[in-house]
Amino acid sequence: MDALIVIFLTGLIGLFVGMLKKPMLNLLVTMIGLVLAFFLQLNNGLYTSPLAKYQVLEFNISQLYFSLLAIAFCMLIVLAGYQYFKRDAIHTGDYYGLLLFSLCGAICLIGFTDLFMFFLGLEILSIPIYVMVGIKKQDVLSAEASIKYFFTGAFATAILLFGIALLYGATGSFNLVEIRGIIQSGEYQPTFLFIGILFILGAFLFKVGAVPFHFWGPDVYQGAPEIVTAFMATVVKLAALLAFFKLFNGTFQDLAYFWIGALYFAIILSLFVGYLGALKQTKFKRLLAYSSISNTGYALFALLSLSNSAIGSLWIFLVGYGCATIALLTISMAIHNENDEISSFKGIGYKNPFIGFIMIISLLSLAGIPPLTGFFGKFALLMNAYPQHLYLVILALISSAIGAFLYLRLIVLSLSKDTDTESVAMSSWHYIVLGICAVGILGAWLVVAI
Amino acid sequence: MNAIDPTFATSIDFYVILASILFVIGAFGVLIRRNMIVLLMCIELMLNAVNLLLVAFSTYYGKGDAQIFVFFIIVVAAAEATIGLSILIMAYRNNKATDAGLFKNLNG
Repeated sequence: MDALIVIFLTGLIGLFVGMLKKPMLNLLVTMIGLVLAFFLQLNNGLYTSPLAKYQVLEFNISQLYFSLLAIAFCMLIVLAGYQYFKRDAIHTGDYYGLLLFSLCGAICLIGFTDLFMFFLGLEILSIPIYVMVGIKKQDVLSAEASIKYFFTGAFATAILLFGIALLYGATGSFNLVEIRGIIQSGEYQPTFLFIGILFILGAFLFKVGAVPFHFWGPDVYQGAPEIVTAFMATVVKLAALLAFFKLFNGTFQDLAYFWIGALYFAIILSLFVGYLGALKQTKFKRLLAYSSISNTGYALFALLSLSNSAIGSLWIFLVGYGCATIALLTISMAIHNENDEISSFKGIGYKNPFIGFIMIISLLSLAGIPPLTGFFGKFALLMNAYPQHLYLVILALISSAIGAFLYLRLIVLSLSKDTDTESVAMSSWHYIVLGICAVGILGAWLVVAI
Repeated sequence: MNAIDPTFATSIDFYVILASILFVIGAFGVLIRRNMIVLLMCIELMLNAVNLLLVAFSTYYGKGDAQIFVFFIIVVAAAEATIGLSILIMAYRNNKATDAGLFKNLNG
């Protein structure tokens, strides 16, 4: 709760500091606010906050770790974006402010105990992103991505709200614990409840970007600036997945026989549509968007366990996925990949060995090669689902092989000789971000070992 | 279940049907219309159908919390309309049209 207030105030201050046109000062204020919020959340996150009295926002220990991860990702993105916004944009202050407001929404979405807070968190998360996607006002692609994201997002919100209204009609409550009690006692109106759950499921699949509601993802990821793409692919996905987990694995757990079939369908399609779609892409951000669809499919395995046991593996998976995604997008920014072609990465391992190294471990981690974090996350998620869902795990392994082919192709590209052997220089901010990402990719398995 | 208003119990279905019809009209509008201002209006219609449904259920259960939720939805709908219109203006400056079908640069 304290962290939420600090982040919000930092965002407000950032908006005003932005008027001074001093990007460095803005970065400093934002980073101080985020670090403060991180430690406040670490210390006080579990204590009863003033608002928890009304049962809208509460963190348990696993949700606390997810909120810390969201804040940490946001810090990385802010650092990585400094150079970009110093060079390209006049809206530095707006960008920092909107990013932090969106992070507030993500934290609400991680800690909600009530459908009020859930809905508000989702909107606080989404509305700043509609703006941030279109932050390059003169760019046709950015405007198009913004329009597409706004209309699909608002449509999903309306569907989610209809689901919530029907859920209220069936149970007469917005509180998650009460709703679960009513579902267990069987005193509900079944038609409204089942239709409501279907609507909510659809809206969630949209928000996490799983097939069949993934169509907006590649377009929006491609059109948005790299920084916003990184935010959408990590923080937004993390918050939406955790809310999904909490609502379906917690509140609707006793109705699993009803929704698990639809989830099966979504997972299988996500696993294959993502990687198969990525194979024919030539734009880097578009490729990353398709690969993130498949990664969402893996993350959704956490919901199949129908208990809290999978939450740790989901965390590890998201650390690996998030660090790798942020690293890859930072590299794309660092080499000034304006036209977003994959071929710009050709020979990057020779031009700058550090970038080449980070790129290779990020891609290997996404592909799930053993000593890296991505492997442990995927392994733990699949092991959790393995006893009951054998066929799904086999399908996931097949899709993983397609993914490995996709990522290895990029590695080969980054190591092949290029005619142009001019070395690539990078700002120190990008070195810091890539270094931290490398620690996340190489070292998070230590957490598992401990 | 909570206390149910006896005068209301027989007629809740009509409210649900009315709200569903409004919602479906809005959803169809979003799916088939191409003018983006009309799309915005259709989304507003969907949100208002939800408001109607929530108010009906609130009276049905004799509880006020759903009516508070309606206020939140109205606020969020206003924020969304503001953002939506400003994004529309930005897109119009780039494209000189409000036709959603003209946005074809991103595909593949």
